[in-house]
Amino acid sequence: MTIDPKRRFDPYALTWRMPIIVWQVLFFIGPLVFMIAMTFFLVKNYRMHEAFEMKNWIKMLGRGFFWDSYFLTLGLATLSTLCATIIAFPAAYALSFKVSANIRRWAIFFLIIPFFTSYLVRTFSWYVILAESGPINAMLAYIGLGPYTMLNTKFGTMVGYMTLTLPLVVILQTVSLASIDRSLIEAAHNLGCGRVRTVFTVIVPLAKTGLIIAAVFCFILSFGDFVAPYYLGGSKPPTLPIMIIDTTKSGQQWPRAAVVAVMMMVTLFTVAFAAIMVAYRKKT
Amino acid sequence: MKMTTKIVQNRGLPTPSRREVLKYGGTAAGIAAGLSMPFVSRAWAQAVEINMLAWYGHGEPDMVSEFEAENNVKFKPKYYAGGDNMLGLIAQSPPGTYDIILSDAEFVQQLNDAGYIEEMSPADYNFDDMIYDDFKQFPGHWKDGKLHSVMVRFGHLGVSYNKNAVTAEEAMSYKCFWKPELKGKVGHFDWHLPSLGMMSLYNGNGANLWNLDDGAWGKVKETTMSLRPQVGGFFDYGGTFNSLKNGEMQAMCGIGDWITGVLEKDGAPVASVVPKEGGIQWTESYSIGKGSDKADMVKKFIQYMLSPRGQVRSAQMAAYPGFCITHAGVKALQEANMKEAERTGQIDGAPNNPITLVKEGRIHYRNIPQQQSLEDWNDFWSEYKNA
Amino acid sequence: MMDSERAIKWFLRGYVVCLFVFVFLPIIASMVFSFNSQRFPTVPLGTFTWHWYETIWQDPDVWDAIKTSIIVSSCTSVLATFIGFCTAYTDYRYSFRFKGAFLALALLPPTIPLIIMALAMLAWFARIGASGEIWSVIIAHTVLTAPFAMAVIRLRLNQIDPNLESAAWNLGASEWTAMREIILPFAKPAIVSALCLTAAVSFDEFAVAWFVSGLNKTVPVIILEIVTGNIDPQVNAIGTFVFITSMTLVIIAQILIMTREKKDAPA
Repeated sequence: MTIDPKRRFDPYALTWRMPIIVWQVLFFIGPLVFMIAMTFFLVKNYRMHEAFEMKNWIKMLGRGFFWDSYFLTLGLATLSTLCATIIAFPAAYALSFKVSANIRRWAIFFLIIPFFTSYLVRTFSWYVILAESGPINAMLAYIGLGPYTMLNTKFGTMVGYMTLTLPLVVILQTVSLASIDRSLIEAAHNLGCGRVRTVFTVIVPLAKTGLIIAAVFCFILSFGDFVAPYYLGGSKPPTLPIMIIDTTKSGQQWPRAAVVAVMMMVTLFTVAFAAIMVAYRKKT
Repeated sequence: MKMTTKIVQNRGLPTPSRREVLKYGGTAAGIAAGLSMPFVSRAWAQAVEINMLAWYGHGEPDMVSEFEAENNVKFKPKYYAGGDNMLGLIAQSPPGTYDIILSDAEFVQQLNDAGYIEEMSPADYNFDDMIYDDFKQFPGHWKDGKLHSVMVRFGHLGVSYNKNAVTAEEAMSYKCFWKPELKGKVGHFDWHLPSLGMMSLYNGNGANLWNLDDGAWGKVKETTMSLRPQVGGFFDYGGTFNSLKNGEMQAMCGIGDWITGVLEKDGAPVASVVPKEGGIQWTESYSIGKGSDKADMVKKFIQYMLSPRGQVRSAQMAAYPGFCITHAGVKALQEANMKEAERTGQIDGAPNNPITLVKEGRIHYRNIPQQQSLEDWNDFWSEYKNA
Repeated sequence: MMDSERAIKWFLRGYVVCLFVFVFLPIIASMVFSFNSQRFPTVPLGTFTWHWYETIWQDPDVWDAIKTSIIVSSCTSVLATFIGFCTAYTDYRYSFRFKGAFLALALLPPTIPLIIMALAMLAWFARIGASGEIWSVIIAHTVLTAPFAMAVIRLRLNQIDPNLESAAWNLGASEWTAMREIILPFAKPAIVSALCLTAAVSFDEFAVAWFVSGLNKTVPVIILEIVTGNIDPQVNAIGTFVFITSMTLVIIAQILIMTREKKDAPA
């Protein structure tokens, strides 16, 4: 704001500007660029050799099961995003409009807590809770139902994804709903707009950006998570993150794992970019 | 030291007497331990650190704490699952990273060819006491008359099943995995070698189970694929354990007593048998990492593991039990825990005596594929998992 | 009309409660399992025991991991907070060409899935000959957590009176003096909460740490190892311990933010 435009070299300004640039270039951009380069490397006798060959791309993308896994992962992450958005919305709505600011603050505080518990430990808890010999089936048996197989199914995977994403989605939705100008909602009500209609014609459009950002984060987290599909979904079939781990483990095939990772990144950027375009598009 | 041993052996379920002790002594012990913190000091003190690369459990206190205390060393374990994983981990680390490497016997030759392990002196180890002649000269462990690895334990793989779902007769053939009632209830240990080996045995390849020409390999792939609709999941070590225990999986392909043994002791209705088509032997051997500057201490540890004390620990290892391979070890196990010796057939004349099974030709040593590469098997395994 | 209003209100409240039950059930269950005698908990539960806590208490590997985790998370928090502060201050004070790209570079890491970061970091550290070192984990965690530090500090800097700094310069203070006398004291609570937040995130991260830590295992890596290995309620005991550690850090951060808000409230 108050910088002197004539001063070309400003040690003070550079002191604050450079650390992040240097750090991210060395340890963030560097690894990612190297990972892209690595997709062209070759592995012989468990050692990686620098090369420029398309073999890994051909090998990975030429296999039917890669694409099966790709679309499976995409589908699961989309489903997870839809579930989280739909499940979270009534809660975010209630926390934004139906409780006091104080309760809202406490609720958000409690929703932050899960981020500081180990996600692995929480998943292991579900493993026990959802088991055929676990508490849920025991309760269902009490009223004469079940037992249901919940582990090693897509349902199990979804429970894991929700454990990971739901608190974040509720927080982000609540924040964006709570910042809506109340007078607009009042106005809608005064004009005789029903409750449900108000939600869909006034509240959702006004909070659109926040809702989409929450969904994008949910998608990113689900798409990249290996714990839920592995431990609760029985890795049956494996998703892309599991494929990365498997490929890395078996015979040091880092380049092939990198192919999977690059494909994931391209997908994520496409989805995120499209979503953000929608989120910020001016309403005409 | 006695105390530690006891706790370790009680790892499964605490007995009431111990709970009582805890109730009255817990607080006092807590404060005392808090003041001296023997475990913290052992972990944080500058004891000689020995880097170990092994399957899960070999660096846990029940296996190493006695040796650590006697020799003022501290093991730093890194765990892997599967030989390909192990070779990859060594390849990515600087030479000399790992002082001691526990590998499956079939991978020793590759370790040696890649120059990852040191030569060992045969005079240091008591081969004469080994219970079976083959083990003294295990394939791949010697090269040009030089020793590179010493076998310390072994076990058998076959049909592992839940007794409520599969009868003992059914379990005598791999065919039981295809039983209609088991749909979605058959699990795989997530490593290609044991599971595909079993499929090869089921196809009747017998002693040639690893030596498959294109036709036979194609048939193995076909057989394996036909099992896919039965499969309920692919599990790592912990998942295999849990899903057998809580009944999610009723039969498991690719494992043996090393998993069900622990569960049986825990009261689960599971068992493993060597079926009529034959079983597979897993064999674990210790090697000294190339360039290790603690070779002497590692040698001492391998000697310890071969001694009766070490063998008894190995036979009752908390993570997964293995058979004793020395006469003295078997005897010590019978003295220390007759029940376990009986359960595993480690007494003379038992029908399931591991060496009897080997001699009857029902057991085949696990090996790497002879006519295909490991990569081929690995690729097929990925395809199978994704099918 | 009024009745349906009330009904909806109660329905929504019930809904929120259910959602919280879903979120907290695994956390509470884990704590319960950590005191349960069964190795594989089933219903009904076994008896109360300290056994799993004793086991981890006596396991030198766990203590080793705790030590590694403390080193990693404290170094990470200092580095990440420093970098985050620099970036937040730059964003607050300066506008320059490519600032959009600058901010994107700073804030991008949390949008890359951890498993991809893990693979990229593993390969990169192996390439530059730094694999399996304790500081590989520190570097990786700093990349992941610096954006959080920046966000926390940037929010605080928003509240500063923009004339304060220039007033100091007009009174003859150098930029460095103004930084030391005005900006830093003002940002102090945010800096402390950034330290706590980044330390807590680092203390819990397992994917990247698992890939790059080699023999220097952190606590979450040990948890992962027990889950993939000889699974037993030690996991729950360690988890409960980690939870308490992280929560302590978060609560300290929260208290600092609250007291800051109170102080600022009249203005």
